[in-house]
Amino acid sequence: MATGVSVIEVLGPGCARCYETLRVVRHVVDEAHLECLVEKNESVERMADLGVMRTPAVVFDGKVVLSGRIPKTEEVRHLLGLS
Amino acid sequence: MVTTAGAMTAKAEANPWWRVALAAVVWTAAYLLIEPLSQWVAYGLAGLPRGSHLGGAVAFFFFDVPKILLLLSGMIFVITVVRSFFSAERARRLLSGKRVGLGNVLAAALGIVTPFCSCSAVPLFIGFVESGIPLGVTFSFLIAAPVINEVALILLLGMFGWKVAALYVSSGLAIAIVTGLVMGRLRLERYVEEFVWRMQFRGGEDESAALSWEDRFAQGRDAVSEILKKVWAYVLVGIAVGAGIHGYVPTDALAGYMGKDAAWWSVPLVVLAALPLYSNAAGMAPVLQALVEKGAALGTALAFMMAVVGVSLPETILLRRVLKPQLIAVFVGVVTVAIIVTGYLFNAVL
Repeated sequence: MATGVSVIEVLGPGCARCYETLRVVRHVVDEAHLECLVEKNESVERMADLGVMRTPAVVFDGKVVLSGRIPKTEEVRHLLGLS
Repeated sequence: MVTTAGAMTAKAEANPWWRVALAAVVWTAAYLLIEPLSQWVAYGLAGLPRGSHLGGAVAFFFFDVPKILLLLSGMIFVITVVRSFFSAERARRLLSGKRVGLGNVLAAALGIVTPFCSCSAVPLFIGFVESGIPLGVTFSFLIAAPVINEVALILLLGMFGWKVAALYVSSGLAIAIVTGLVMGRLRLERYVEEFVWRMQFRGGEDESAALSWEDRFAQGRDAVSEILKKVWAYVLVGIAVGAGIHGYVPTDALAGYMGKDAAWWSVPLVVLAALPLYSNAAGMAPVLQALVEKGAALGTALAFMMAVVGVSLPETILLRRVLKPQLIAVFVGVVTVAIIVTGYLFNAVL
């Protein structure tokens, strides 16, 4: 399935909240059989580059769609245009 | 009665305020029931004799566990809703262009109300420094948040009353302001990793203004369940230890080591011992209460808790990515001294 998003990044230094966010995003992507790349990015440079001051942040193709909290499954689906 | 409840549920779905009001009523009723219930469990249900060590410990446990869990749920909800009006982006906007001094005071205050997880310390640091906020002001912000821990504040309020809670907040603010001022004076810019100064920070988006009340209440609910899940085990263990001390350790047993008239080195010793410990505020407070009850001076005990909760190894390790070891050492050193001074002050005042 295609949603127009090809790379999803989860930004965060590697704390429990970031991994939980990654898990939620992966779950949605797997469930909907999306063909996009999901990656965890711990680079501080990347965060500054995108203007992220609060982690975890979720980034679709270089655009920050959420930052500072763990999203709900439903919310990620909505952001991806799945519901 | 059934129809009234049904009508209320229907209304609750229509207006988020109704649900909050309903929760507040249930909360108050539960809070009022704790004391009689804990007495009943210890002396009625378990049949323990009044005045016995075990009876006292059991009643203490069954009084404190529900009380603390209720206090935590209610207050975390309120605090999270208030905090949803603030954001790191807004703090950055308010602080850029502010000078040293007033900037430190504002930064420390914003550090308390801005929702902020210690994992965000690094990107936040870069965002602040990039927008021209002085290093000392940035540190005031970064210190205020962990030193004034909301869970610790709630527990102090519940166990020692509002005076101690207010003292905790004001001393935390003072520590953040003074530490930031001192660090700003020391001209430590050269100990920030070079790449930070070369970075270009793009403005982030601020979603705090666009939220509806329903969103804010939902955030409050999520925060309550997230924090309760994280701390309930600490609360149980902490209260169990506290109950043990309460029931079995004789009064004034600690006066010689941690009391008001103990040797001058008792405060620094206690703070230094606490630095490597990193515990949850939720587990600390019940132990604190029991210690104070047995003769420890409140200032010494508070300094101990601030050192355990405020200076955390995980956050320090994260900050190493943007700060050179020298600056980290100065940071930990200045905060430690500030906490020790606060301990002395408390002991002198209280």
